[in-house]
Amino acid sequence: MKKPDAPGRERPGAILPEIWKSLRTKPATEPYPAKPIDVPAGFRGRIEVSDEYCIGCSKCSIVCPTECIEMVADERDVAHAGRSVKRKRKPVVHLLSCIRCGLCEEACPTDPKAIFLTEKFSGAYDTKDVTVG
Amino acid sequence: MPEVEIPIGPQHPALKEPVNFKVIVDGERIVRLDLDISYNHRGIEKAAETRDFHKALYLVERICGICSHAHTTTFAKGVEALMGIEPPKRAQWLRTLVAELERIHSHLLWLGVAAHEIGYNTLFMYAWRDRETVQDILETISGNRVNYGMNAIGGVRRDISDSMRIAILGGLRVLSERAAYYTQVIREEETLLVRTRGVGRLPTERAVALGAVGPVARGSDVSFDVRRDDPYLAYDEVPFDVITSTANDVFGRVEVRAKELVQSVQMAIHIVENLPEGPTMAKAPRTAPVGEYVSRLEAPRGELLYYLRTKNTDKVDRVGIRTPTLANWPSVVEAIQGHVIADIPVVVAAIDPCLSCTSRMTFVDTDGGPKGSLSWDDLVAYGQKYYREKEGLP
Amino acid sequence: MSALLVLYLLVFPGVLFLLGFAFFAEWYDRKLTARMQNRMGPPLVQPFADFVKLLSKEDIVPDGVPARLYAAIPLFAFAAIATAFLYMPILGTASPFGFGGDLILVLYLMTLPTILVFLLGWTSNNLFARLGSVRSVSQLFVYEVPFFLAALGPALMVESWAVGDIVAAQGNGWWTVLIQPLGFIALIVALQAKLERVPFDIPEAETEIVAGPLTELTGKKLAVWNLMKDMLLATGAALAVALFLGGPTLPGVTFGGIEGAFIAFFVFLGKVLLVLLLLALLKAALGRLRIDQLMDWGWKVLTPLALIQIGIVLVLKVVRVL
Repeated sequence: MKKPDAPGRERPGAILPEIWKSLRTKPATEPYPAKPIDVPAGFRGRIEVSDEYCIGCSKCSIVCPTECIEMVADERDVAHAGRSVKRKRKPVVHLLSCIRCGLCEEACPTDPKAIFLTEKFSGAYDTKDVTVG
Repeated sequence: MPEVEIPIGPQHPALKEPVNFKVIVDGERIVRLDLDISYNHRGIEKAAETRDFHKALYLVERICGICSHAHTTTFAKGVEALMGIEPPKRAQWLRTLVAELERIHSHLLWLGVAAHEIGYNTLFMYAWRDRETVQDILETISGNRVNYGMNAIGGVRRDISDSMRIAILGGLRVLSERAAYYTQVIREEETLLVRTRGVGRLPTERAVALGAVGPVARGSDVSFDVRRDDPYLAYDEVPFDVITSTANDVFGRVEVRAKELVQSVQMAIHIVENLPEGPTMAKAPRTAPVGEYVSRLEAPRGELLYYLRTKNTDKVDRVGIRTPTLANWPSVVEAIQGHVIADIPVVVAAIDPCLSCTSRMTFVDTDGGPKGSLSWDDLVAYGQKYYREKEGLP
Repeated sequence: MSALLVLYLLVFPGVLFLLGFAFFAEWYDRKLTARMQNRMGPPLVQPFADFVKLLSKEDIVPDGVPARLYAAIPLFAFAAIATAFLYMPILGTASPFGFGGDLILVLYLMTLPTILVFLLGWTSNNLFARLGSVRSVSQLFVYEVPFFLAALGPALMVESWAVGDIVAAQGNGWWTVLIQPLGFIALIVALQAKLERVPFDIPEAETEIVAGPLTELTGKKLAVWNLMKDMLLATGAALAVALFLGGPTLPGVTFGGIEGAFIAFFVFLGKVLLVLLLLALLKAALGRLRIDQLMDWGWKVLTPLALIQIGIVLVLKVVRVL
């Protein structure tokens, strides 16, 4: 596999064989958005909050490195670990400050997670602040 | 023609980030180069003092997009040393794998940018097309194409499964062919050779005297690599060679990086095939005891150095960061003397400059001068007054 | 002037056709270069869309620049190239405007844009523009001699300065490229330098001196200048086809009537696409040279190549082979 170390002739246009190959093959460009793009499993995409499972423990807000998770007052009865918990707060994420590190998802104690990263990656906004949750 | 001062920067198509070169030329020959960096200063060292270790990790990750893993690894291993904990073996190997993949990514990106600087856009497109392969591998492992977020204090946050392993090895096999091709093409393509041979001469003693690091120093036959001379992570168990070149000019640096690309692909394959089993995380205490530590690492651009001081709290007391690009700037100023304007982008691109990494300097006058704090408006007015005086404007 | 001649002048293959042909030539070049670089390349309307977009942008004239002269320069260049294109044979062996010395006229008209580039850079009141214009003139001295010598070859062979005669001679015999391959190579390389494309785009080296002489061009002026560059590409390719590849003729075949003109046009187009392919290959396969390296190489390799070709042609004529 390793080629011998001696270089070939020094000549202009040493890249021509590769050019011939490129002219014969399909372009490497993905024609997004005409063709959708697959992302691998575990891709860090947009953050989402699940109203159904959150118990309001605020762990996500505490560990967030950019402090983009704000806990707002919200009351709801949530089923957690076999019992019913009365939550007092729920998280609201400022989406444009989220660095998608996933520390909030790791810290969240519920199962399934109440705050998690999805695999969505496209989105453009025309407001200065966008909130999720 | 009399001596003319040409401003290259702070905005210029040759530069990807702001830096100010005031080039004094006589005709087309460069007589002197005045360098002005620090347009990208963001106050990261100060900001790190108010965040605990876990949050500060994400702060230092964003000093640079291309060597983000190098920054977090240096910080994490420094804090782990101060805390007295050791991450498990599998974690060390995974950190090494991502570090080598990052090196591949950085060198492919650099190859494209350097080719673009000499107008060789075809090589630029090919190198960046192959960079997509390593980006896909990194996305599979960490979920993101840059700023991987792999490190945590005490280990790594993610693990690789067997199906991931197969995909990674497939990508690495493609990369090894491409890396061999690039090593061959740069030695054969004549327009590239005439632009890089004999340009930016830096003899070995001058490279050592000016403190050059990384491929810049190794391209001038200085055999220094932190991975071999001060081993960390898994580098004492993964076989590799330190690559130097006797060319002492820009072509030497190009050659060193191309061969390091081949080397890193081989190392990455070795790591994936011989990954030890075990846990990926060790439990870290909340605070670090009183202590100081200098943490070093071979980033893609050279030796990265962190000075860490902790005082029994959960935050760093002081972090001082010396990035490789900062160490390489003096060699640019020296190497460009006597060349023509057309060589400036070539010599500058040869050190692989990362201005976001560079702007870390803080000058503090401790033995005198008034102390106080400036409001935002005062700071703006001070800045404007400073530049007016410097440029000689009324 | 008859109505047909006016139609020829203004519509086809005159000014309007030239505009369309220039946009098509730019698109073809960009698409080919992109495919060589393993990319997709722009859609067909892209050059036209770029032109229209530039027309709508703000026109900024910096301090200290003579505004009317500055605005006139792109228009002069446009006029020069449009006139040069009129003498290119497209539908038959000669253009209806062709006359006994039109090759010389075309060569001089094609030199005019470089002089105008120098003027553009010099009057721009901008350091980068001044450097670029000096480089442009230095480059002019290097490629102009081989370009003229390479164009001299076919004229010497046919003993006429009329483009129409050269094309007619190829229509009855061999294509010049088969007899003077060195001259063809010299012409293509010198043409690439005249068009200021890689590896000879030194005056406009983006990474070194921003945009060279064009740094201060904005809005409509830049739109006209880019259009002029495309027209120069089209005209240069048409000239190379006429001098070396036989123009719109095929050896030994005569075309008559309307269908004949139709076929001749497509023969011409095919040959122009071939020349554009060669120019795109040169652009894609090489990196940019430095001005001193270009001078070195130009005087040591390119000009001697053209001179040798002229020498061979003279010897062949004396020996009465040609």
